[in-house]
Amino acid sequence: MKTVIVRPERCVGCLQCRLACAVEHSQTKELVAALGEAWRPVARIAVYPGGVHLSFPNKCRHCDPAPCQAVCIAGAISRNPARGTTDIDPARCINCGMCAMACPFGVLTYAPTPKAPERRAVALKCDHCPDRQAQGLPPACVEACKVGALSWGEPAQEMAAKGRSLAQAYFAASRGVAESPEPEMIRLWRQLG
Amino acid sequence: MRFVIIGTSAAGLAGAETARRFAPQATITLISDESHLPYSRPLLTYLLGGETTREKLFLRSPEYFRDWGFEALLGTPVTRVDPQAHEVHLADGRAIPYDRLLIASGANPRMPRIPGLELEGVFTLRHLADAERLERHLAKARRVTVVGAGAVGLKAADALSHRGLKVDLLARGAQPLSKVLDPVSARLLMEALQRLGITLHLHSWPTAVVGAGGRVTALALNDGRELPTEAVIFSVGVAPRVEFLAGTELSGPDGIPVNELMGTADPDIFAAGDCVLPRHLITGEPAAFHIWPAAVAQGEVAGANLAGAGRRYDGILPMNSLSLTGCRIITGGHLQPNTPEGEVFEELDAKTGRFKRLVFDQGRLVGATLVGEVRHAGIYFQLIAQKIPVKELPCDPRSPEFHPGRLWARPLPGAA
Ligand SMILES: Cc1cc2nc3c(=O)[nH]c(=O)nc-3n(C[C@H](O)[C@H](O)[C@H](O)COP(=O)(O)OP(=O)(O)OC[C@H]3O[C@@H](n4cnc5c(N)ncnc54)[C@H](O)[C@@H]3O)c2cc1C
Ligand code: SF4
Ligand code: SF4
Repeated sequence: MKTVIVRPERCVGCLQCRLACAVEHSQTKELVAALGEAWRPVARIAVYPGGVHLSFPNKCRHCDPAPCQAVCIAGAISRNPARGTTDIDPARCINCGMCAMACPFGVLTYAPTPKAPERRAVALKCDHCPDRQAQGLPPACVEACKVGALSWGEPAQEMAAKGRSLAQAYFAASRGVAESPEPEMIRLWRQLG
Repeated sequence: MRFVIIGTSAAGLAGAETARRFAPQATITLISDESHLPYSRPLLTYLLGGETTREKLFLRSPEYFRDWGFEALLGTPVTRVDPQAHEVHLADGRAIPYDRLLIASGANPRMPRIPGLELEGVFTLRHLADAERLERHLAKARRVTVVGAGAVGLKAADALSHRGLKVDLLARGAQPLSKVLDPVSARLLMEALQRLGITLHLHSWPTAVVGAGGRVTALALNDGRELPTEAVIFSVGVAPRVEFLAGTELSGPDGIPVNELMGTADPDIFAAGDCVLPRHLITGEPAAFHIWPAAVAQGEVAGANLAGAGRRYDGILPMNSLSLTGCRIITGGHLQPNTPEGEVFEELDAKTGRFKRLVFDQGRLVGATLVGEVRHAGIYFQLIAQKIPVKELPCDPRSPEFHPGRLWARPLPGAA
């Protein structure tokens, strides 16, 4: 199952993913129009400052089994086997906060949403952009990330690919060839600080 | 194999579903004295406040029992368990045989021993039937009193004020949620209650329910006052439902003692949920704490062990989330350190009303309270549950820069 693969070592903290996520989860799905919507669009991915020039994009991992699902007293969280996601039904969520207590990654936010207009707030988290996926597009955060910190793929394949590239880098290094696994633009950006 | 499960709520259903996964061929019979389909008890206060609907209370579909291959005996109270004969006796005279039994019978509200409890207008809130009875009564009432400022009492008070009733809330101690909240969090909570227009009476408890013409008119209080009211909801704690175990030595007054496998004194009988006395995750002592997530987790372990899987329950980590209008609190673990070397860290943002309180003992995090911003609560509880020494963490939880990135991001080679 495809998922968003996070490489925190590449994240530069530009927050483009947050913006794209908020826009995708707005009603109009357009930046300028979204700014004026009655429900303030909320990003479901957070970017935390890390070490020097290091940031950490944090989002729902769609755990299986999912701790948030196990504790939800409203039956609002369910697994979508076809998409491999844990989904929150805003019509059932009663904003009790039990899921925040259970999520080991701290990824839930609580805010009003046009999907349940009668509620003061509901639990919100990453849903892997179902509307985009239906059109064959990757989630909005992935498309927005220009440095490869977020990618859309099969974890097993990505791990194999990473293993291959590490092995190549290792052999290249042992032959005395300079090898930079860091993309050029990130290296330059880091030099700025 | 023939499994029988008493109870179709959090623990019973988790037990049945897990047992089914481990034993696809077993006969699984579920018994409940409630005739409704399985529903969520915690949603009852939200139903009362009009924040959810009756149909959303039900957690499983009408086809649920058939789909999972469960035999359901609903609306049939259990009167007795006979461990020697391996039988469960029902109120209608039937005896249901079992090879292994799971008791997930939950708890019932406790009642104070005071006169006037038989008057019309006296309620508890535990079962769907209670909520429906209360609903009918509230159609004619304007002023309601909630006795007991625990999590359920507070949520009930919030729900009632939400629908425009005048609400009085009685707390026995100096603050609400006295067993789990420190004074600062309690003050933030009391301010929220005030904003909601709920009248909180501290150090107050009823000595009698006063009525006229068979109906409640007031509560007589310990300090001699008489508080006029048209309905009283008692929420002063629960007692395990174990009457049907009388004479079996399986249960004490505080609940059914269980081992790590959720097994009881009888090797063929397991128990889970509000009716048991599990071990505390940190202290290892038996501790009753009645929360939905623990009932589910214990039910899963017991269900697996019905089928002989040998799964272990780590122990209960008391925790709860209280989300009132305009006030969010998540709290869990220890309220105070157990040893003198312990330390309490507090950080209050007076402007936003955000508060973080962490309890450390013997170099480990053992308790956490978050008010306002609760998003990272699960991270603190992970640290508590995994008992990781603070000095082994990449970032100190006391630091203002403590966040998920600090725990999970690997530093770049050479980065500070
Ligand atoms: C109003 C309210 C709000 C709550 N809010 C929260 C919350 O926000 N978060 C949280 O974590 N917890 C909350 N709780 C607590 C939570 O509901 C319980 O911890 C949980 O329901 C326990 O599940 P259980 O399966 O052990 O027992 P129960 O839910 O009590 O179910 C017991 C089952 O056993 C059956 N049974 C019992 N005795 C017999 C008998 N003799 N014969 C036949 N059947 C029998 C009952 O019919 C029922 O099906 C709340 C509770 C209430 C009442
Ligand atoms: S919200 Fe948290 S617990 Fe739930 S699936 Fe996502 S990461 Fe896992
Ligand atoms: S806040 Fe919503 S999604 Fe989270 S546990 Fe409560 S009802 Fe479920």
